[in-house]
Amino acid sequence: MSRAVIVFPGRGAYTAAALGSLDAGHRFVREAEQLREQYGLPSLVELDRADRFDPQVHLQPAHSAPLTFLTSLLDAEKAGMDHDPVAVVGNSLGWYTALAATAALRFSDGFRLVQEVANLQQQRESREDHGGQVIYPLTDAAWRRNPALENAVTTALGAGDGEVFRSVDLGGYTVLAGSEAGVGRLLATLPPVTVGERRFPLRLALQGPDHGPLAEEVATAAASILVDLRWQAPDVTLIDGRGVRFTPWSTDPAQLAAYTLDEQLTTAYDFATSLRVALREYAPDVLILPGPGNSLGAICGQIIVAEGYHGVRSRSDFEAVQRSASPLVLSMRR
Amino acid sequence: MTFDRVAIVEAALDACLQAATPAPHRLAPGEPIRPGSSLTAHAAIQLFEDQLLSRALDVSARELKKSERSFYTISSAGHENDAVLGAQLRITDPAFLHYRSGGFMMARARQLPGSTPAFDTLLGIVASSDDPIAQGRHKVWGSRALWVPPQTSTIASHLPKAMGLAFSLARARRLGVHNDLPADSVVICSFGDASANHATALAAINTARYAVRTGLPMPILFVCEDNGTGISVPTPAGWIAETYGNQPGLRYLLADGALDDIWRIAAEAIAYTRGTRRPTFVHLPTIRLWGHAGSDAEHGYRSLAEIAATEASDPLVANARLLIETGAALPAQLRQLLRDTRDRIAAVAGEAIRRPRLETTQEVIAPMAPQHPRRVAARARSPLIRAPRRRESFGGSLPEEATHPNRRTLAGQINAALADELLRRPELIVFGEDVGRKGGVYNVTNGLQKRFGPGRVFDTLLDETSILGIAQGAAHIGLLPMPEIQYLAYVHNALDQIRGEAATLQFFSSDQFRNPMVLRLPGLAYQKGFGGHFHNDNSVGALRDIPGLVLAVPSRGEDAARMLRGVVGMAIEDGRIVVFLEPIALYHEKDLYTDGDGGWLTDYPPPPAVLLPGDVGVHDLDHRDLLIVSYANGLRLSLQAAKRLREHHGVRARVVDLRWLSPLPIEAVRKHAGDCGAVLVVDECRRTGGGVADAIVADLAEGGFETGGRRLRSVRAVDSFVPLGTATSAVLVGSDQIVAEGLAAVGERVRA
Ligand SMILES: Cc1ncc(C[n+]2csc(CCOP(=O)(O)OP(=O)(O)O)c2C)c(N)n1
Ligand SMILES: [Mg+2]
Repeated sequence: MSRAVIVFPGRGAYTAAALGSLDAGHRFVREAEQLREQYGLPSLVELDRADRFDPQVHLQPAHSAPLTFLTSLLDAEKAGMDHDPVAVVGNSLGWYTALAATAALRFSDGFRLVQEVANLQQQRESREDHGGQVIYPLTDAAWRRNPALENAVTTALGAGDGEVFRSVDLGGYTVLAGSEAGVGRLLATLPPVTVGERRFPLRLALQGPDHGPLAEEVATAAASILVDLRWQAPDVTLIDGRGVRFTPWSTDPAQLAAYTLDEQLTTAYDFATSLRVALREYAPDVLILPGPGNSLGAICGQIIVAEGYHGVRSRSDFEAVQRSASPLVLSMRR
Repeated sequence: MTFDRVAIVEAALDACLQAATPAPHRLAPGEPIRPGSSLTAHAAIQLFEDQLLSRALDVSARELKKSERSFYTISSAGHENDAVLGAQLRITDPAFLHYRSGGFMMARARQLPGSTPAFDTLLGIVASSDDPIAQGRHKVWGSRALWVPPQTSTIASHLPKAMGLAFSLARARRLGVHNDLPADSVVICSFGDASANHATALAAINTARYAVRTGLPMPILFVCEDNGTGISVPTPAGWIAETYGNQPGLRYLLADGALDDIWRIAAEAIAYTRGTRRPTFVHLPTIRLWGHAGSDAEHGYRSLAEIAATEASDPLVANARLLIETGAALPAQLRQLLRDTRDRIAAVAGEAIRRPRLETTQEVIAPMAPQHPRRVAARARSPLIRAPRRRESFGGSLPEEATHPNRRTLAGQINAALADELLRRPELIVFGEDVGRKGGVYNVTNGLQKRFGPGRVFDTLLDETSILGIAQGAAHIGLLPMPEIQYLAYVHNALDQIRGEAATLQFFSSDQFRNPMVLRLPGLAYQKGFGGHFHNDNSVGALRDIPGLVLAVPSRGEDAARMLRGVVGMAIEDGRIVVFLEPIALYHEKDLYTDGDGGWLTDYPPPPAVLLPGDVGVHDLDHRDLLIVSYANGLRLSLQAAKRLREHHGVRARVVDLRWLSPLPIEAVRKHAGDCGAVLVVDECRRTGGGVADAIVADLAEGGFETGGRRLRSVRAVDSFVPLGTATSAVLVGSDQIVAEGLAAVGERVRA
């Protein structure tokens, strides 16, 4: 079996294309539905079966987070049958999925973690000054690093008057976050660039200022609500948003809990580093992207290119490998 | 009889895990591994993971060697308990490591999120240019982020600089020199049992104790990883404990026993040294598995029974048993961990061998001797000290104001230039034997300690190895050391500290670590009052032979002051190792042609005047009959000879002072040679000593200088040690000889 690193996506992954992903009969889905009922929240299966994707509804944190979580988890279960997972990483919310997928949290605890944090984020979202995230590219269309873009980011952060911070490092893209004023400043100061058809800087819809100081309230509340989660060592090595490894053998569950409920929420999430550690230290044959959407496909490709992994040193190398009989990145849904 | 000892040891570990039975109860991750121990179950398993990783890397290196894809097979196998130190020391405690430090490195890297120690190590093993520390120039244990400067394979040669860093920590802080190390950092250096006998080890440990005795802080751990053997030579039983067990000023701790005992003793050693700022000698018994290196056929000098007995005490087997017996881990878990680790390393090795290697000469030498002449020049010129402050520092009268008839000697010029540098560069320290209170054997550092204090100008103990060790260690943390070795002859006593250590650091660390220094080195011959070889040594071949080293040799005082600023700029900006060779015989010389003419006295050129490599001294630019190329004492003799050639023979000679013997200002020499009808190189060093005459004559000859009948000649000193008294003239170059050879060089062309 091939050595696989599983890469779980963040909350934004559940988009229109993902509708109809959930298998209502799966035990995780049934358990999730029960929990949703207890929370007094609408059924995920129904949301998933809607005729059309309504961003105002589907993108709400309290819905998109568990939808993404659940879809990814079901996919990962299937992937585990054909591949040998050697390490697991996740982007942002994907970290929670990773915890559940490796049994560091049993399903219901993983679900509660996802739902509670999403609820807190949604509450914040209803406030006037809720803040948000802005994504900006660091490479050109050929995925070559462009130092001018990095400099622009540094300048914009400097001009953000303490209201902005680095939120997620995706390698080829950076996600910045801040208060409403801060986001406004980022949008105003970052020089406009177009990559493919998309224009940047781009504000991410319904995403709050996560992974930074503005998430401290959420973290404090989550920690008190979620004291009773039962943490365990994962059954496959987890690599977190700092690049720290939690192995099945030496994990202290208390440290896993402490990281998840504090640092993970309140400091920048370095997805690029987590994937780099996975590539270098676990040398997978393939990266598996479970869950909805394929937003991480290019992101992973860019990190692979930056690493020169398997000799892949450019976007065209990557695309060639992807067309070959043994692609490096397998997206389970496109 | 099988010699695949790797397979045998691997199988023994498997068998142990296969046979083990779970303990009756399990330990929680945070519980001590045994009652009262500070080692928790969770930390113990982490250590074991790191140790297995190190072991798997060793196996992989040997596996890759079979297909010639690895270039290094010295293993850490059997030494993995040093991971205990890797786990407990901080990554801001500088570590100068033995070559069997896989366990230490894996454990240390764990402290740095995002680190990738297995991959990094494999890149080194396969000599890939992606290796983050040496880029494939050597397999070293090193990391900038982990504060592990890479070490060469010369055993024990890293101890003096480790000691030097420990010596310099508090001093740097007091001088306001900032670095990334917390105030309570300690230094660790590790080495083998055979290495513990080496002169450099003894020097470093002695100097550490000397520091304690003189009341100076010396926060360093000397860790002896004792496997009982140096290649094939056994260390006598008990030797390390006997030798180091009771040395005043050195705490000795035997880190023996089970993993948790070693953990406790290591903690004690670290706490003691961190708290008291005093050195500890940690004696860590280990075993050596699989011979000295992959190529070493151990069965040639040890019986199979001995080999098997060693293998039977594999620390990984012992640690696995401990984890299982204490309930920290289940046998099945450790089996899975072992399998996972081996598979993983096999896969990572597969990726590492795809990685690129250094290809071009340019790539290989890039970090060795960076050259940024513009930045160097700017650095050498600045900062400028405001006039009132400078005047105050010089006690009211500036050195440049002392003009005729009080012009300055070479010694006086260097003294003033040192004062100016000390004044404008707070990170500069000047030290060596007798340079402090006495002000140097030749008064060159006179008064500097009084003016700048013993924190910056100080006497050291009598050991060249330690002087250079202090220089390197100080330079690692941002001080700019200007050590003095009392005479050129004595640099050979410790030459490896320059050649093998200081000069290689940028090369093996891809310029991530630097240890710039300006070594002041009085030398060369022609001393009138003080004779004999050792005070008149005239060989620079050993220094010119060091890649990247800058060898500056002033002859005239005004040059010395400006060159000193130039080399300081090179050290600061490019990290260069500079030897500033000062001709002793010219230190107090006043005259050039006749007694009392004052022709060798010069005015002081105040900052920002500088000279940089390539800048040569030219006398009589309008003369073209003959070019005399020389330096140091030879320059003065050449100027005297040139005068005679002109006055008595009508030969008009231009004289060029090389000033820089490495790198040679060869462009300038070619240019002047192109102007002149003949060339005579006057080299006061030994004829076959690898001096500059060989290099210049060869270069001009290869450039076709002699075509068209132009002559190329040289005079050099005799291949001899320098004798006492008047006999010196029988071996050294004199001005008569220069005149004669000059005439021979110009031949009939001029005289006709
Ligand atoms: C100055 C010097 N001399 C000789 C050698 C060759 N050499 C390499 S390792 C070694 C033996 C070292 O034994 P020990 O210090 O006990 O370390 P071990 O290899 O046993 O860990 C020798 C002689 C060297 N590297 N450096
Ligand atoms: Mg030994």
